[in-house]
Amino acid sequence: MTRRLCAKGLVFRRGGRTILDHVDLEFGEGEILALLGGNGAGKTTLLRWMLGRLRPDAGRVELDGQPLGALSRQKIAAVVAYVPQAHIAPFPYTVDEVVMLGRLPHRGLWGRAAARDTRAVEEALRRMGIEALRRRVYTELSGGERQLVLIARALAQEARLIVMDEPVSGLDFGHQTQLLMCLDDLAAQGIGILKTTHHPEHALFVATRVALLENGAIQQDGAPAALLTPERMEQLYGVKVETLTSTSGSKAFVPVFQRTG
Amino acid sequence: MTGKQHPFLLHQGLALLLAALALYALSTGPYPLAVGEILRFLAVSCGFGDMPAERQALLYNLLVEIRLPRVLAAMLIGAALAVSGAAFQGVFQNPLVSPNLLGVLSGAAFGAALGILVGGSWLLIQTSAFSCGIAAVVAALFIARSFGQGSLLLLILGGIISGALFSALLSVVKYTADQENQLPEIVIWLMGSLSGARLRDVLWLCVPVVTLITLLCALSRWLDALAMGDDEARALGVPVALTRYGVIGCATLLCAITVSLAGMIGWIGLFIPHVARLLTGPGHTSLLPASALLGAAFLLLADLAARCFTTQEIPIGIITELFGIPVFLLVLRHVRRGWNA
Repeated sequence: MTRRLCAKGLVFRRGGRTILDHVDLEFGEGEILALLGGNGAGKTTLLRWMLGRLRPDAGRVELDGQPLGALSRQKIAAVVAYVPQAHIAPFPYTVDEVVMLGRLPHRGLWGRAAARDTRAVEEALRRMGIEALRRRVYTELSGGERQLVLIARALAQEARLIVMDEPVSGLDFGHQTQLLMCLDDLAAQGIGILKTTHHPEHALFVATRVALLENGAIQQDGAPAALLTPERMEQLYGVKVETLTSTSGSKAFVPVFQRTG
Repeated sequence: MTGKQHPFLLHQGLALLLAALALYALSTGPYPLAVGEILRFLAVSCGFGDMPAERQALLYNLLVEIRLPRVLAAMLIGAALAVSGAAFQGVFQNPLVSPNLLGVLSGAAFGAALGILVGGSWLLIQTSAFSCGIAAVVAALFIARSFGQGSLLLLILGGIISGALFSALLSVVKYTADQENQLPEIVIWLMGSLSGARLRDVLWLCVPVVTLITLLCALSRWLDALAMGDDEARALGVPVALTRYGVIGCATLLCAITVSLAGMIGWIGLFIPHVARLLTGPGHTSLLPASALLGAAFLLLADLAARCFTTQEIPIGIITELFGIPVFLLVLRHVRRGWNA
């Protein structure tokens, strides 16, 4: 069975303001769905609701056709993982310990670490190419390394679907591209990814689908090449945009810089 | 460090150290006893060998009736405060948090002062301290909930408000109190002392303290996930609200029990978890038991100092602060490592 996470008519209001307005969004195994939208469009809020944070004001989120509210947190966690922006944890956990947290839905509160938990952690570290970091302290790593550790935790969780909040934010030029390749790799191995991004090019590189979020509503949802046009970008971000095509065929969006004086 | 690889060995080592300290504490006092004699008394009490009945009665009075309550109380309170501090730090995702964050100590101080003001018995003062400590935390949670969905920031704000309210109320009580007798009694009481510990009270309080510490230890893995952040913990399958309020509840009860038994004893809840974290790493599964053992050992030492340095007893709250601060400064260099500050 392929796993699907799916929001249906999601509405969320706070203080008289509608943050999410009848949002329909779904993704499944093997897909990379990129969620684009300006600051304050509601991207992060939508991610949180896709993870079943609280009860929405209307609509629901379903995992394989079952409402999240009807499933235990542990059941959800065995399928869906969350990768936040690389953050600074308050306590000096080692990389091993952080990744082992991913086994929590499988081990439960009291289960001892079994051989298969240790194996899953090792496998996750290997797949992300960070075995060498395993004894290091998470808080002392660079932002790029921390992001890889958090993805490794999602892999150790054996999640089939991963929700990521701006996975490349704070990474340098090279690490951004390496991370995109890594996401591409994961999707090829059948993992489904929903990620928010501020980089339309990144969506062109790796996304299999793009959803544009504006004023708390999904304006369009479809193939990256069809949706990511200069006109749409201008509408979404409110600046003039040109498209460049490199000799190798990659496209880039360039904002037209206008001096105001 | 070996402690991080072999937490079990570390815990055993700390437990041995604590046992040795307890024996030493039992042997020390105005009437010093040899450790060998204490062991022999223990053996005789268990039915092995014998000693003159007169001597046995003397030792019983000295050890069981006079010294044991203090030694037990010191270990119990030290462990309770240290574990509740470590749990608060985990649940608030912040290493600078002390168990008083939600106002439990301020509330308990007010409760005790009120009990003294109305001229209540020892039991009334204890009950009043305990229940006002709980009331302060309930007020903090209520304030936080009435403003939002229980976010961390609002909880902390609720704690600040509630703590300030009870501190103000304490001032009112102090101002109203009779300055000849009651005010000094309140001030001394607030400095903390183990001299009032009775064997029956202490034995009885062992049950809730050990149960609450065990409960917190049982939640350690969820605490680990929660220490990374709410959304992540939720996505790792942790019932966040249940864990947060459960941990706050257990830690608050622990603190309130210590205040009702021995008044205000500061600093242990803040700095012992840091020392323990240096030995075990931040994982709560080994951090909480290590904190309990270290807290117990530290307060035992502090109590020894309180009753042996001078002929007149020094309030133990003063000792923990005076000794806690230099120790904390010593470890701060290593502790800072994890904060990424």
